[in-house]
Order: sequence, then C-alpha cells, then structure tokens
Amino acid sequence: MQLVLTVNGMTHEVEARPTARLLDVLRDQLGLTGTKEGCAEGECGACTVIVGGKAVNSCVMLAVQARGKEILTVEGLAKEGELDLLQQKFVEYGAVQCGYCTPGMLMSAKALLMGNAVPSEQDIRIALAGNLCRCTGYSAIVAAVKAASGREAAPLMELPGDAEELAAEVTTDPDTLAAACEVVEAETEDAPAGLCEPGALPGLVDPYDQSQSGIPGETEGGE
Amino acid sequence: MIQDLQYVGGSYPVHDVAQKVTGELVYGSDFSVPGMLHAKLILSTIPHGIVTRIDAASAEALPGVVKVFSHENAPMDGFSRARIHPGQDMSFYDETLFSKHVRFVGDRVAAVVATSRATAEAAAALVEVEYEELPAVLTVDQALADGAPAIHEGGNLLYEHEIEKGERPDLAGAVLVTTTASTPRVHHAALEPHVCIAQGHSTGGMTVWTTSQGVYAARTVIAELLGLEYHRVRVMKVPMGGSFGGKTEYIIEPVCAFLAHATRRPVKLLLDREECMIATMVRPATTTTIRTACTLDGELLDFEAATTLDSGGFAASTPDYSVHMCKKVTKLYRVPHYQHQGRAVYTNTPVGGAARGWGAPEMTAATEIHMDRVAAALRLDPVEFRLKNMVEPQDTDLVTGLPLGEARVRECLERGAVAFDWVARRARPAGRGRIRRGVGVAAGAHKNGMFGAFPEASRMGLKMNEDGTFELHASLHEVGCGIVTTMKVIVGEVLGLHPDLIAAGEADTATTPFDYGTYGSRVTYVVGECARVVAERVKERLLAAASDLLQEPVERLVVRDGAVRVRADGERSIAYRDIARLTEMRAVPNIAASTTYYAVSNPAAYSVQFAEVEVDTATGLTAVTDFLAVADVGRAINRGMVEAQYQGGVQMGIGYALYEHLDVDGRGRAGIDGFKNYHIANAPEMPPVRVELIEAGEELGPFGAKSVGEIATVPTAGAVVNAVNNALGTELSDLPLTPEKILAALHREEVPCSSC
Repeated sequence: MQLVLTVNGMTHEVEARPTARLLDVLRDQLGLTGTKEGCAEGECGACTVIVGGKAVNSCVMLAVQARGKEILTVEGLAKEGELDLLQQKFVEYGAVQCGYCTPGMLMSAKALLMGNAVPSEQDIRIALAGNLCRCTGYSAIVAAVKAASGREAAPLMELPGDAEELAAEVTTDPDTLAAACEVVEAETEDAPAGLCEPGALPGLVDPYDQSQSGIPGETEGGE
Repeated sequence: MIQDLQYVGGSYPVHDVAQKVTGELVYGSDFSVPGMLHAKLILSTIPHGIVTRIDAASAEALPGVVKVFSHENAPMDGFSRARIHPGQDMSFYDETLFSKHVRFVGDRVAAVVATSRATAEAAAALVEVEYEELPAVLTVDQALADGAPAIHEGGNLLYEHEIEKGERPDLAGAVLVTTTASTPRVHHAALEPHVCIAQGHSTGGMTVWTTSQGVYAARTVIAELLGLEYHRVRVMKVPMGGSFGGKTEYIIEPVCAFLAHATRRPVKLLLDREECMIATMVRPATTTTIRTACTLDGELLDFEAATTLDSGGFAASTPDYSVHMCKKVTKLYRVPHYQHQGRAVYTNTPVGGAARGWGAPEMTAATEIHMDRVAAALRLDPVEFRLKNMVEPQDTDLVTGLPLGEARVRECLERGAVAFDWVARRARPAGRGRIRRGVGVAAGAHKNGMFGAFPEASRMGLKMNEDGTFELHASLHEVGCGIVTTMKVIVGEVLGLHPDLIAAGEADTATTPFDYGTYGSRVTYVVGECARVVAERVKERLLAAASDLLQEPVERLVVRDGAVRVRADGERSIAYRDIARLTEMRAVPNIAASTTYYAVSNPAAYSVQFAEVEVDTATGLTAVTDFLAVADVGRAINRGMVEAQYQGGVQMGIGYALYEHLDVDGRGRAGIDGFKNYHIANAPEMPPVRVELIEAGEELGPFGAKSVGEIATVPTAGAVVNAVNNALGTELSDLPLTPEKILAALHREEVPCSSC
C-alpha cells in the first residue's frame, strides 16, 4: 500500500505492506538507521521515536498507524548542524558509551521535555524506564536530561574541540620561523625558493587557482 | 610520581560521540554492502539428539532463496570459537558450523541465505528438520551421574584441574566455616544483537566486517576453518553496540564467512534477541564450595575451594575460565595455603564462555558471601575482618607468583568505610516491619592483561601528518567505554598535543598491526602503555628535528600545546605544523615510529563496594537504595569515563545479584526469549552510585593507570547479597536473590518460631 509519512518535517511517499513495522520503514526504506532495533518486542526502547508528540516503540507500531502524524527520529533533533540542547548535554555529561541505546534515550527524554519542561529526577527515571542501557547505569543519562531542562551542574566532559581551530591556535613567531627556514635552506640542496612563505611550497598550490598549471587532476592544457 | 599532567585525568566523551547522538554512526547492524544477501539460522528445538533429515526443498523453492546450508553441505571440521592465536593452548575443537549431533536448544542446525531478511525468515520456517532424540542432561549433577549420556566423545567432564600453593599450617583450634554459593547463567545483554557481514570475493578471498573484540582472532578462526591463507582474509572491526565479553568469541563470524565464501556474495547474519540469548554464549553458571580456617582473632590460615562450572553444549573458553577462577582470591587476601579444584562440565544447555570479569564476578561473589559468614562466626565486623587479611602493596600473588603492584585494596576499604559511614549504618537495626534495611560490603580484584598466562604484547605505529597533526595506527577495538579516546589522551599527553589533533582508528587486519584486541583488562595497561612508548619514540624524533631547526640542544626543549618550546624562554617555540612543513624538505623527514611493547607485569586492580538495600518481606522484592564504589585505578586517564564505566559495572552486578538468570526447563528450553522475561536493571531501579577513585599510580601502567572495565562489576553482587543477608539475618548464597528465594528463606526462618 501507498503510505504518506511525515518524518522530521519532510513528507515521504513509501510503498509498504499493511503489516510493515514503522521501524522497518524508517530504517530500510527511508535509510534512517539512527533508530535501532534491540529486541523487537517493545522492551528495550532502542527503537523509540516520537509520533504525534508521544514516545513510541517503533518496533511494535505499524507504519500505517503513523500516517498523518508528525514523526520525529534522532536524525531530526539537530538543526542545520547544531546539536539539540539534549544531544549537547548527552555529550557533555558522558551519557554515551556504546551509544546503541542513545537514540532511543534521546527520543524518550525529548518527549518528556516536550510535555514537562522541568521534570523531577523521578519523572526522568520513569520516562526512561522503558529504555534499557547496559553500559552507563543511567546516572549520566539522568544528569544529562536534568541539565537539558535547565538544572545545570558543571559539565563533566571536556568537549571535543574543532581540530582546525585547535591547530590554528598554535603559531611560530616569525623570527623563529625565519631562522628555522635558514637552517633548512643551508642544509638542503635545491631548497625551493621562498620556503618560508606558507603556501609557496611545491605541491601546495591552491587547486582552485586556475592560473596555475600542473594542477592535480587536470586533463587538458598540461605540459 | 608524575606531575603536571595536561590531558591525562581530564574527562572526555567517547571519540564518536557526535555521530552517536545524531544517529549517524553506522553500526554493524546498520551496515550493508551492495548486492548483500541475508542469512537466517535454524536452531535445534531439542536439547540433545541427532539430526536425521533436513528437507530444504520447499524453502529453496521460495523466490529469493539462494540456498540452505547444513551439515549436509558445509565443512564438518571442528573449530574453537575461543581461539585467539593459531598457536594457542586450551582450544577445544568441539564445535562445527552446523551440528548433526545437536547438543542444546539453540544449537545451529542450518542457515538459509536469501535476498532479503524477510525471505530468509520465511524460508527458515519452511525447512523441515527431523531428529532422533537422545536423553539430555540439563544440570552438572545429571551430567556427572553414573551412566549419564555423553554429550561429547570423552564424556561430560570437559576439564578438571587443581592448584595448591603454600603450606597448610596447623589448624588445631581454628574456626572452620564452609559455604556453598551458586551464580547463575546470564545473558550479556549488549543492546545491539550479534551481527557479522562477510563478502566472499570471486578470487576466493574475503572481507569481513565484524562487531567483535578481536579482528586477528576472528581471522584465525575463519581462515583456519575455511582453509584460506591469512592474507586473503581481511577482517575489520565496525562500530558495535556493546559486548561485555559476549562478542569476544567467534560464533557467528565463521558461519557468516562460510556462507559468503560458499556463495561468493556478501552475506549479513544478524541475530534476533532470542538467538542472542540462547544461541551465542552466556556467562556460565557456577557452584563453588569454600572452606576456610581462621584463628579466633580472624587471621586466615587456609582457603580451600571447589568449583563446578556449567560449560553448556560446547567448551568455548570455559576450561580457561574455570582455571582463572582459581586466580582471584589470592590477589585479595593473604593466606598461607590455597587450594582450588575446578571442573568444567558439558551439559545440554546454552554454551558458556567469556563474560566481563572472566570468572571474577563468580568467584568473588562466592568468596565475599563466605567472608561475611566467617566474620559473623567470629563476631567480627565484616570490614574489620577483611582488613585483617587483605594484601598489602607490593605483595606477591600466592597462586600466580606475580607481584600485585601498587595494590591499594586496604585503602579502598578504609576510605569507603568512612565515606559510606559504614560503622553507623551497619549498627542501625534492620527494622521489624515489612521493609527491612541492610548494608553490605564486598571487595574484588582483577588483572591487567594476560602476562603470565599468554605472550602479552601490543604493536603500534604513530606518525606526524604533513600539517603537524598525528595518526595512530593501532588495532583498537572500541566496545563503547572510550578505548580510542584513552589512546588519544595518552599520545596527546606525551606529545603535548590536544587529543583531538590525533586520529586513531579501529582494527583492520589489512592495515593495522597485530594486537589481540579488547581482552582480559589489557587495553589501558598494555595497549595504553604501547601507545605511550610509541609516542615517546616519536617525541624523540620531533625534538631532534626541533633541536636542529631552533639550534638548541634537546635538553633545553619541551613539548607543550602543539609546539616545541625552548625551556625558560617564553618567546621561542616552533609549532608542530611548521616542523612538519620544514622537515618535509629534509632527506629523512620521517617523524614517525612503530614499536612492539612487551608487557612484563600483571598487577591487580581493585574495587571495594558498599550497598544499602531495602527488602520488602511481603513481596520478597529488593531495592538497592544507595551504592558506593571505591576504585583502585592507579590513575584515571579519562576520569569521567572511569566513573561512568563503574556506574555501568555496578548496574550489571546488581542485575547479577537480584534479577538475571537464564534457566532452562525440563525440556532444555530457556523459557526466556527476550527482555520481556529477562530483566536487566532499568533507570528507576538504579540507586545513586557514587564512585571514588584511588590514584596511587602503578609503576608500569601508562601514567600509572590500570584496568577498569571488568573490575568495576567484580565485587558488586557480593556487596548486594551481603546487604540482603544483613537486612534479613539470612545466609542466602544462591544468586540471583529472586523474590521467591527471599520469601522461601524468610518462611523457613519463621517456621520454627511459629511452632515454638
């Protein structure tokens, strides 16, 4: 049968059997493999998605039951590359180990926060009761959800840095660099001229600069 | 001791955390290859028998079915799922890809290969299997009884061993106490089911993507079984959703590899939850009887133990597992004489094998329940009694003869007792009402790698990239606890470079050097030390290059924040990026090294844990209401993750103590087929778990670090059981303490009272 599903704000037309599970349509037909399968009987919560504002186990829901409702999966949490606050807190609080339960945990927690902006610890634990985790003992997950609802403790984890920014922070002062270049030039026969100007080394040409010849991959006009 | 560490001891998320929270990480179960086929297993429905007929005609007639494989058309050579290395002892080749002689409900009989999972499942239901049933033995007692049917040639007593160390002193006047404790068969319950993808190439070679803990071991098992040269079998580790030892042995990998080899196609074998529970591997059930002798003032004189382990239908690693159960007590306690007999016994039940702690949670539960009984017999406080007998730093393990290193277990116990307010809480009455409260303590010890039992080494390469970032080439097997991050932090600390500027990937037999994998609590202590050593070698080259560029002697140079800096000269430094760029122009620009690190020690890691419980005497339900874990970790490389791993270990141990058991019924069926009837602790059931670290530094560990992942769960069950016994005044020792067992114990206790 033809099904129209709205997933993460996007409308999809899929061909599915009436008995198709929502989980299979999401994973196999829409390629949204962030939603996991752990038990196929609605016990472990790894397949949790939000349908019409409620957290559901997509392994025990038919795709057809989700027609006409907003379906939110883990892939829909981040917006334009920016993590959702809840995702950010899962990172900061070390709530992720193997990560297989994480998408389901996030969706159960998201559904909780959508209905209760300031849940108590007990509310959080009960909302996550149907999401099993074998790695964390839940402490860090509960702390992350609490933090996402504004009760911030100090973040536990040092966040992954942006490698380019980290590298760019360290520079050599120009005099030292010039002296080092002289050492290399003195030692090396055929040292390229202008060794010490970044970007002037052979092979480090700007590939987008059309005025240069011998551009890697160029198939015409070469010598 | 090491001063001024910049990155070690910080808290870092797992390396792939961003991909995990966005759902973008491709786990093994998400993985696919164009043209991939799907396999479905057909499992034995009887505990013991001979397959007399397999009719696959109607299954193979189904559109989309490629072929049905069974003992009739697959190699019948025996293999050992636990073989890490071709030269390994203690491998038992008693298993075949498919069984003709089936030995438990869940034994592999056949596999259907089809173009879709749905078709493979539909076809599997059409395969007709007929059996000639044989009498089954479902317990070790039945298996060892006279005249019991033999499950394998050679009988049901798979392995037997005994060790005796030290001299038994005169036991005249000593207090003798005997305890028998049982631990259950349990499911590892990694959230991701077992999965493997193998691609058979037209050349006869193959590529395998596996969610396992050792790609080289997987290659050994696959290549030997299929008769392929090793270089034609490429095995890659792909992201996995947990393991806990359940994916340390090669169960579905050889099956999937065979199916791919036979069809010359890519094949995915993904199990469902019930198959994971009954057809892969379980933590083996054990029964241990301990007899100790103590002086009246509580000094241990003698420790004798006898363990029987239920191996299930195949040996897997259970003989070695059984041997290792003898190596736990003397890491923890000083005793003049230690004797331990162990037996591993075949039964017609699911196969036992590797599980987090490798015999330590089993033996420690028995030991620590026993130690509480001895303390009670001597009228000593459990903490006080243990302190009288615990090992000291630099002691030697009586059984292995290896130094225990900076063994800070006494400190764990003393600090924990204060932090938990042990004396006051233990003195508090359990109550007389429906809810009884109690507290318990247990200590545990575990190892750091396989030195002493196995040639223990790791290999790695590390190179500077052309832009001054680094790449570590190592066979890492991330199971979810931050192994990759650990290595990056260690290398970053040595090189004075932020760990995020170091790339480290996972294992691939084609591109990363030989390493056993994530086994035996070896990763931080052995693999991590290898990372430190290779980073030191690279640092030498980096400093030599910088010395030349800066025209300063090496002695005056330090590495920090991605630059080589002249000591006592705040101005002059050269960034790694510039060193990389300039050394590219040199005759020998290579700032890279590779190394093999051979471990030369195997100290112990410790944890002492304290539990508070409330037992409902009307329902028999136990709630753990407070928990403290004190951890002797040497030094935390990644502090946040050490604590998180401990919290998870405690959760697993609480399940072991109270909820989890995979029993079989009189027909050999598990009667448990999913999480609906196999309970693991969920969020509302978990107490707050405090973790306190003792960081005294271990001499030969990287920056003083030692193991965490297994020891975290080793003493937990003992602490919980001891707390229940404290609450109820019972001597329960048959895990798990289900409501039925608790009510039965209370009932028995109350019978004499009501009759008097």
